[in-house]
Amino acid sequence: MSVDSSELYNVKRQFFLGSFKSLIDMPLPDPSSADYIPTLVYKARAQIATDPAEVASLIPADSENVALKAAAALGRYVSTSEDAEQEAALEELRDLAVEIEGEDVEGSQRDKNSVLVLAGTAFARAGDVEEALETLLVETEDLEAVAVIVQIYLSINRVDRARKEFERAKQWAEDDLLLQLIESSIGLVATRDGYSNSNSFYTEQLGNPSLSSPHILTARGVTRILRNEVPEAKSDLEESLEQQKGDAETLAASVVAAGIDSKNKDEAEQLWTRLTTEHPLHPLVVDVAQKGDLFDEFCAKFTVPPLAVPAAA
Amino acid sequence: MSVMLTKFESKSNRVKGLAFHPTQPLLAAALHNGSIQLWNYRMGVLVDRFEEHEGPVRAVNFHLSRALLASGGDDYKIKVWDIRPQNRRCLFTLHGHLDYVRTVQFHHEMPWIISTSDDQTIRIWNSTSRNCIAILTGHSHYVMSALFHPKDDLVVSASMDQTVRVWDISGLRKGSPNNGGPGGFETFDTFSTVKYVLEGHDRGVNYATFHPTLPLIISAADDRTIKIWRMSETKAWEVDSCRGHFNNVSTALFHPKHELIVSCGEDKTVRVWDLAKRTAIQTFRRENDRFWVLAAHPNLNLFAAGHDSGLIVFKLERERPAFSVHQDTLYYIRDKYVRSYDFNTGADLGWLSVRKFGSPYVPPKTLSFNPAERAVLITISSDNGSYELTSLPQQVQGEVKDSSVDGKKGSGQSAIFVARNRFAVLQKQSQLIEVRDLASSVVKTIKAPVQTNEIFYGGTASLILSSTSTVVLYDIQQQKTLAEINSPPVKYVVWSSDGAYVALMSKHTITIANKNFSQHSLIHETIRIKSGAWDDSGVFIYSTLNHVKYCLPQGDHGVICTLDNPVYLTRVKGKTVHCLDRSARPRTITFDPTEYRFKLALLKNNYEEMLYIIRTSTLLGQSIIAYLQQKGFPEIALHFVQDTNTRFELALECGNLEVASETAKTIDRADCWERLAQQALKQGNHKIVEKAYQQTKNFDKLSFLYLATGSTDKLSKMQKIADTRNDPMSRFHNALYAGDILSRIAVMRDVALYPLAYLTAKTNGLDELAQEILESAGLTEADVDDVPSFGLSTLKTPPIVTTTTDLNWPAVSTGQNFFDRALENGSLEGGVEPAYVNGDAAAGASSALDAWAKDEEVQDDLDPEEGGWELDADGGEYQGAEPEVEDVPQEEDLPGSTPGASETEHWVRNSPLAVDHVCAGSFETAMQLLNRQLGVVNFVELKPLFLAIYRSSHTYLTPVASMPPLQLHIRRNPAEASLTRVLPGVVRSLASLRYELSEGFRLVSGNQLAEARTAFRSVLRALLLVPLSSDDEAKQWRELVTAGREYLLGVSIELERRRIAEEEPDNVRRSLELAAYFTQCKLQPPHAQIALRSAVSVFTKANNQADAARFAKRLLELKPDAKIVAQARQRIAAGERNPRNAVDITYDEFTPFEICAASYTPIYKGSSAVYCPYMNAAYLPEFKGKLDPLIEMTEIGAVASGLPAPW
Repeated sequence: MSVDSSELYNVKRQFFLGSFKSLIDMPLPDPSSADYIPTLVYKARAQIATDPAEVASLIPADSENVALKAAAALGRYVSTSEDAEQEAALEELRDLAVEIEGEDVEGSQRDKNSVLVLAGTAFARAGDVEEALETLLVETEDLEAVAVIVQIYLSINRVDRARKEFERAKQWAEDDLLLQLIESSIGLVATRDGYSNSNSFYTEQLGNPSLSSPHILTARGVTRILRNEVPEAKSDLEESLEQQKGDAETLAASVVAAGIDSKNKDEAEQLWTRLTTEHPLHPLVVDVAQKGDLFDEFCAKFTVPPLAVPAAA
Repeated sequence: MSVMLTKFESKSNRVKGLAFHPTQPLLAAALHNGSIQLWNYRMGVLVDRFEEHEGPVRAVNFHLSRALLASGGDDYKIKVWDIRPQNRRCLFTLHGHLDYVRTVQFHHEMPWIISTSDDQTIRIWNSTSRNCIAILTGHSHYVMSALFHPKDDLVVSASMDQTVRVWDISGLRKGSPNNGGPGGFETFDTFSTVKYVLEGHDRGVNYATFHPTLPLIISAADDRTIKIWRMSETKAWEVDSCRGHFNNVSTALFHPKHELIVSCGEDKTVRVWDLAKRTAIQTFRRENDRFWVLAAHPNLNLFAAGHDSGLIVFKLERERPAFSVHQDTLYYIRDKYVRSYDFNTGADLGWLSVRKFGSPYVPPKTLSFNPAERAVLITISSDNGSYELTSLPQQVQGEVKDSSVDGKKGSGQSAIFVARNRFAVLQKQSQLIEVRDLASSVVKTIKAPVQTNEIFYGGTASLILSSTSTVVLYDIQQQKTLAEINSPPVKYVVWSSDGAYVALMSKHTITIANKNFSQHSLIHETIRIKSGAWDDSGVFIYSTLNHVKYCLPQGDHGVICTLDNPVYLTRVKGKTVHCLDRSARPRTITFDPTEYRFKLALLKNNYEEMLYIIRTSTLLGQSIIAYLQQKGFPEIALHFVQDTNTRFELALECGNLEVASETAKTIDRADCWERLAQQALKQGNHKIVEKAYQQTKNFDKLSFLYLATGSTDKLSKMQKIADTRNDPMSRFHNALYAGDILSRIAVMRDVALYPLAYLTAKTNGLDELAQEILESAGLTEADVDDVPSFGLSTLKTPPIVTTTTDLNWPAVSTGQNFFDRALENGSLEGGVEPAYVNGDAAAGASSALDAWAKDEEVQDDLDPEEGGWELDADGGEYQGAEPEVEDVPQEEDLPGSTPGASETEHWVRNSPLAVDHVCAGSFETAMQLLNRQLGVVNFVELKPLFLAIYRSSHTYLTPVASMPPLQLHIRRNPAEASLTRVLPGVVRSLASLRYELSEGFRLVSGNQLAEARTAFRSVLRALLLVPLSSDDEAKQWRELVTAGREYLLGVSIELERRRIAEEEPDNVRRSLELAAYFTQCKLQPPHAQIALRSAVSVFTKANNQADAARFAKRLLELKPDAKIVAQARQRIAAGERNPRNAVDITYDEFTPFEICAASYTPIYKGSSAVYCPYMNAAYLPEFKGKLDPLIEMTEIGAVASGLPAPW
């Protein structure tokens, strides 16, 4: 595997540690530089993570590079809620994933890997786990693909597979930040050490002087919730919310933390109202709404007798 | 190996004798030129000099406990000196020796001094009687040294006669010392006998000394050897020799702490030997100077050696203990054991031996702790620097683990953890930094970007590199310098606990920087800086050789306290500094942080805190005032000052006229009044200006002020004053200001300015007066013919537009500041009012009772009563079984994309409690459980609770951007790794519901019954969904349910009574019954009092005096406060006078009964009843199968299994 330049390393690190804003603000290298395409892809992905509608303006429309095309497609997929448009974007990604197997494609091996990662991400978003795994699982030696695969396995409660994939990656992958991130994600789902590895990982990244990411603060806040360290978690989440006002993930975690054994019930309800209005599509909101309906349904199954009232005296 | 660390050096004449003061940093040096120097070796200053000996001085010694110094010289004299700073002088001189005196020594407990001389004798003197009490004879040549045994009654002496002798002096202690004077020398010998004569040296012996604890002697001789001798009760023999000096050995000493010998000699070397192996360990050589004497500090690792041209003070090893702080635990090394010290509990445990790491004589240099792996990384300077990585055992074991078992060693000068699975090692020679993994294999090698002498942790994956003139923040991953600051070589680095700031310490400077070095400030110290630690508020506390000091983020620093001996700060918590002393023992120092807290508050404009400090502390003194003034806060300084003059100055500076004029009154000096007037004028406060002018009798200015303010009456008063003063100029001015023409003319006439007087009169149309003036001047009209006619004056006194005189409108607004307001609201002397009064239950309730007694007026404000129930007491936390890590026996054979079992499925499987099913989102099973266990049938009210609990049982995170977030499940016990035991987290705990219940109590006390009913209902509903994990918790749960039920029932009854009193005022009977039933609810005493008082009042009103008296009696049993007691007694008395009841009610308090929670009627013992399956409230049989009216959720009389006990 080729070694990334220091600049690209930094870009990659910013992306995986969720330092999206500074990544977006970062200037692009010279278009002739080898870093140009990968940097642009990461910038596009950061853009998708924050404001997907803007991705189109970032990528030159005439680009034939497969990675850029894939990024643009993912951007379209994420930014629209129209089924047809979504399906079109998925179709394009499917095509690209096949196309890169051919000879005369514009793009390096790295770009081709990116195509798979982006396509896999889109399929996972679409809920098509099988297709996502099929796309990515070509006994890959691309750690980014492993990261996506592991997250998919975790989402379907296949910790065994996730661990296996991670152990396999450890054989060939270098000592890499991403590898640690993967390990820490597994730790959050299936801890063996009271979440201390994940906690140390996020704490460590927060201590890095050349990077600042509210996303990592949120991640540590979530880890602390899992560690039953609620006041500490709240402090992390508040700090993160200050840095990225209205971030859905942070807000959702704040709702959770506020509701745990709290004497101040209003706080949780206020945050909840905020989350439901600002991010009606967040999985927590959707899930709780579904549960609410289920509740009504089950509730109706019980016959409620009349209230015990004394006969008029 | 350079472990001899020179701490102090001085140049002088040849040094022949040396002695350390046992407690103070003082060193006495006897010089060949006849003077004795007293050095403070820590500060490097010559404290004093004693010059009374004639000829060279060879011997000096300090008394162990008294401020005494003994000396002896070539003038045959022994002198004893008082060394207290104020009266340093020679106290007395002991005469008797007949030749040079070589050594002197005070006895450790008797008032004895032992001395040796070239006259071949050893003498012992009584320093109280100042007589010689023994002469030890036997040596046949100069006696070079003689020393007392540190415990026993023995003396060891060394002589040029090539022998070392041990003397028994126990006789001295028993017998009364002979005071027979010079005539009775022979008798002395009966008190002291030679015990052993040690022969073996081939030349004269220069020095011999006892081991502090073992029966050993060492001697140093001109035969270039050091001999070790052993003694038993009966004999002494030579054990071995240390050979290596190639000239005469002057002195040899035992190291006071370690098994080492230190010696010096005329071969210009100081040598260190291993006592056990008798091998040389190290040699310290001087170019030109022969060493003549060596002294060891009795307690510290400190030595002094005297040579031809001065002396040196040195240490043999670093004293700075290697340590590292993680959260509330200090990991440190003492005597080559890694130990931990808990700052909170003081628990001090040994974990790991590192005795086999590096040279046994060298203590480890640094320790880096890795909390994730519970591993330590230790460096040592021996063998050119090496490191060892070992993990600490999980628990303290009987036998302490030795690091050599699994420690991974390597060479390197500096080694630290940079991440939980990586550490960095500096190879100074090649200037390479190796990044290694936990297996100690190199992962990455980096060429240091600057000449690096030491590396420190610089934040994750970053290093701080210390170079000769800079310090660099370096990112290992990117291999790039992030920032660089100029600094002398940085020796230690301390991070603040939140990792936001770092202190970079060099010998004399501290650089405080933020985490990416973008901001920094520098502090310079003249005294050597030893250590530092961060306070929780972001203040850096550091120690120098003799002070503990603080440093604020912007660089202000000051002294907190002084130190006798250097300490190494490890942690600052509130008023306590934790530190390690020089022997690496944890200590604490309590200090007063007020000063720096105040300054910090000032910096942050935190006025509340400042005010609090001013009010509660004794912060006073010139320094803080000067500081405040210098920083531009005179108005705050004002509050510290008592001295009137300073107060005046400060008040003027900050424009506080009130204080200024008050203080001016006290001072009452002209210049003060003038300055006050000036300042007041600037602010437009003319009243104060007026007062100041009056005080200084500044009439002119006063008049002008009155003119300016339009104060006509005052002006006319000024005229009168001017008249009485008979000051024509002043009279004229005032007349002019007042527009009083007649007066003006009168003044001019009085001073014989007739022409002016005439013209004034003329131009103002006062012709008669003009004529009069002419006449009095002896002139006629004709004489003034040539005076032109001016016509009538049109000038008038300006009218007063604004009556400023009545207004005091300060033109400069001084703006009342926070402090002025605070001062107005209460004097500074008064203590600060507690922000929140946690009144005790009884007091709170009884004042609430008075509210009730006002015949149920609506009371709005609640009593802050909430103690009483000891609701904060811990409810015995459930201790789960030891977690065992089990591998997940999962669906290994399933195809990849098939989903596995979710954690929530495990939750449902693992628990029979409804709440755990709610957490898992399995609402249906949760409802079934509640129905089966507690007979719940109506779930509508539980919906918000279900959803809130479910909502806080899972959290989401997106590790890879744009992927769907992962749902993470919050476990009750994060350490539980076995899926067959995992349970969801606790969203509502018993403790929080207990708190809510107490809120309900508060509402009851505050007479807000409807709200109280809502609160109790809500608690009872929430109690359905509390996770329980032990019998004890289940018991507490039942108690809470019962208490909630009783209150809910009581409150409901009382509400019903009030409804009847309002809607059916004639139904007195029912009203009385309900009041009576209310008293039967099992409430806490304060609330039971409420019920009883209410009943007393209602029954009295209904003229049921007998019943009222009975309630009053019950009330008395609850021991209410005096006022209520008096009222109750009254009721009882009234009941006795008139033991009748006007209304007959159904209430038999002598037969036990339960109250039907639906009809509020008694169900007497023996009658049949049905019960609520959850709260166990009683109902009349007719209500069976109905919905309970208390919380409207359960079916009365339903069969239910009760809560299972899964634990």
